[in-house]
Amino acid sequence: MAARPDLAGEILLYGRPWRRDNAALSRTLDWLVVVIMFIAVTAAFHLHFMLTVGDWDFWVDWKDRQYWLTATPIVLIMFPAALQYVFWEKFRLPIAATMAMLALTVGVWMSRTFGFQMWSYFPLSLVWPATMIAGGLLLDAVLLLTGSALLTAIVGGMSFGLVFYPANWPLLAPYRLPVETMNSLVSVGDYIGYAYTRTATPEYLRFIERGTLRTFGSHSAAVSAFFSGFVCILMYLLWWYIGMFLARVMTVPNRLKGAMGLDDDAAGGAETRA
Amino acid sequence: MNAGRRAAAFVLACLALATGAEALAHGERNQEPFLRMRTAHFYDVTWSTTRVAVNEDVVVEGRFRLFEDWPVNLPEPDVAFLGNGTPGPVMARTESWINGQPAIQSTALVRDRDYHFRTVLKGRIPGRHHVHPMINVEGAGPLLGPGQWVEVSGRAEDFRLPITTLDGRTIDNLEHWATGSVIGWHLVWVVLAVAWLGWWVRRPLLLPRLVALDEGRERALITRADRVAGAALVVVVVAVTAGGFLWAEQTYSRTIPLQGGRAVIKPLPRDPGNAVEVVVERATYDVPGRSMKIRARITNGSPRHLQFGEFATSNLRFVNRALPAAVARVDGGYPDDLVARNGLTVADNTPLAPGESRVVELEMTDAAWETERLTSLLNDPDNRVGGLLFCYAEDGARLIANVSGAIVPIFTDNATAMAH
Repeated sequence: MAARPDLAGEILLYGRPWRRDNAALSRTLDWLVVVIMFIAVTAAFHLHFMLTVGDWDFWVDWKDRQYWLTATPIVLIMFPAALQYVFWEKFRLPIAATMAMLALTVGVWMSRTFGFQMWSYFPLSLVWPATMIAGGLLLDAVLLLTGSALLTAIVGGMSFGLVFYPANWPLLAPYRLPVETMNSLVSVGDYIGYAYTRTATPEYLRFIERGTLRTFGSHSAAVSAFFSGFVCILMYLLWWYIGMFLARVMTVPNRLKGAMGLDDDAAGGAETRA
Repeated sequence: MNAGRRAAAFVLACLALATGAEALAHGERNQEPFLRMRTAHFYDVTWSTTRVAVNEDVVVEGRFRLFEDWPVNLPEPDVAFLGNGTPGPVMARTESWINGQPAIQSTALVRDRDYHFRTVLKGRIPGRHHVHPMINVEGAGPLLGPGQWVEVSGRAEDFRLPITTLDGRTIDNLEHWATGSVIGWHLVWVVLAVAWLGWWVRRPLLLPRLVALDEGRERALITRADRVAGAALVVVVVAVTAGGFLWAEQTYSRTIPLQGGRAVIKPLPRDPGNAVEVVVERATYDVPGRSMKIRARITNGSPRHLQFGEFATSNLRFVNRALPAAVARVDGGYPDDLVARNGLTVADNTPLAPGESRVVELEMTDAAWETERLTSLLNDPDNRVGGLLFCYAEDGARLIANVSGAIVPIFTDNATAMAH
């Protein structure tokens, strides 16, 4: 337990005495920030996810072994990586990736429930979202255990890409059962996508695996997952540094101070503190 | 308008929104005329019924021709899909066929050739829905056929879409198939995530940690218990993932990937006697008179005597009411608003003998040009008119010719436009 009562009227937080009222105020701030940040990340991450992964996650007949599997982790790792920089470097909190994934999960379920089901009549069997939390948990755990952005990128990033498909397979497998309809072989997911009309999304718009990547045994999922994991390593590092850039505290001196009759000593270049 | 009336109008507007005022069709008239006149021409379209209960079928059937004079700004119909224009999934599509071949996949279509289509739709969401056949062409978008109002009655909760898988499972309703599993697995991961967040959030979070980190007390922030918890988390995540994967492999041992192939569907065979050639000499649209006039040289290359019974464009039918064979072809279930009241007038409709070539004047005068918003073709950069001319022989045989050509607007009330 980090908080330990040692002194009368004071409390020890992480080895430093805090006045109890200040500690209580700080705790209130914690909750305010947690709630606001969760809502903000939900909105921003969900928007990012819809605009990038979009249809691959919207529809069960887009969740293929090649593009969905490759693109989703690559896009998903951006927010967690940037947030991990802030949470880890400023607060030593290994929770950013999990928090981001949980926020996204809340966002996608709201979207699918209110937008896709209740507003547009699509059944849940067509529009259920993939689960992404497993990768977030692994990223946080690896960052905690290694304390290194580079190792988190290599081990965590690769794990992030690799875990996506097996974590979703229990959800997806029932939709990959084969059925015969109109003398044709299709999967249950194909048929659901066919049956529930998306007027402006005809079959050919599906950006899905049309071959097998010419892999041995036609197991393109494994190839896609490894490729995705590899790109996730790069994306993680890129977005870690984007997080670093965006988290700079920067002040810009007011160059009009002199004209306003104030002391313009401070006029000069921007000050930056990482 | 006084404040009271404004308030009343506002309340009425809010009520209209709140009660879900009926949406009239879904904007098919907003499609540019060149799309509607010179791409897919639907004809002989029928709806098996216009009233169904939830779970009952409507069969939409007919033919379409991909126009010879396809707009230059659209890609060729090399990838196309037979869809249905409905307000979303208010009806479930259980079957679709083109020329007797399954149309569950996309296919290539050929210009200036005809196709028969058949779509079976099952009532799902109660309401009054505008139902069109539709061809989606990659790069060109949705090309709508005629729309008919279909009323679906009953309760949406009663809808069922059953299917049997090849491994013998009977799925009672695809609407809810495996959704319990989806929700359950999501909950498993959410519980793990909340537990992990709770492990950290239970302690002071922000300012005390920021201060401690600034003062170099990192060891106080990450304890041994935290590291053990992190290691345990990795084990749990891997175990749950592997366990779930193996469970799914055992439970659903025979699975297939998404099917993304293309169907190969040949067009209907050409009728060797279907050889009517139409060369448009001049076409005008009289804006104030709402009248289209086409002067064309028509050559009968068929072995039959022919008369001109109908001009159809953009699902709008101008039927020559003086020709019984043409009138008989208008199905009673065809939407009234798409059969022009004034029909087609042919200046000289004496039978065109085999091998004969004659200049014929066709006149289609009707307010439907405006109501269907086809007159905006005058704003198109590629200002051409297109349609199908249905010719009838004495024995009732029907031959279909393409009509296309440039069109000139007449902005004045000049009844002698054709004379220019």
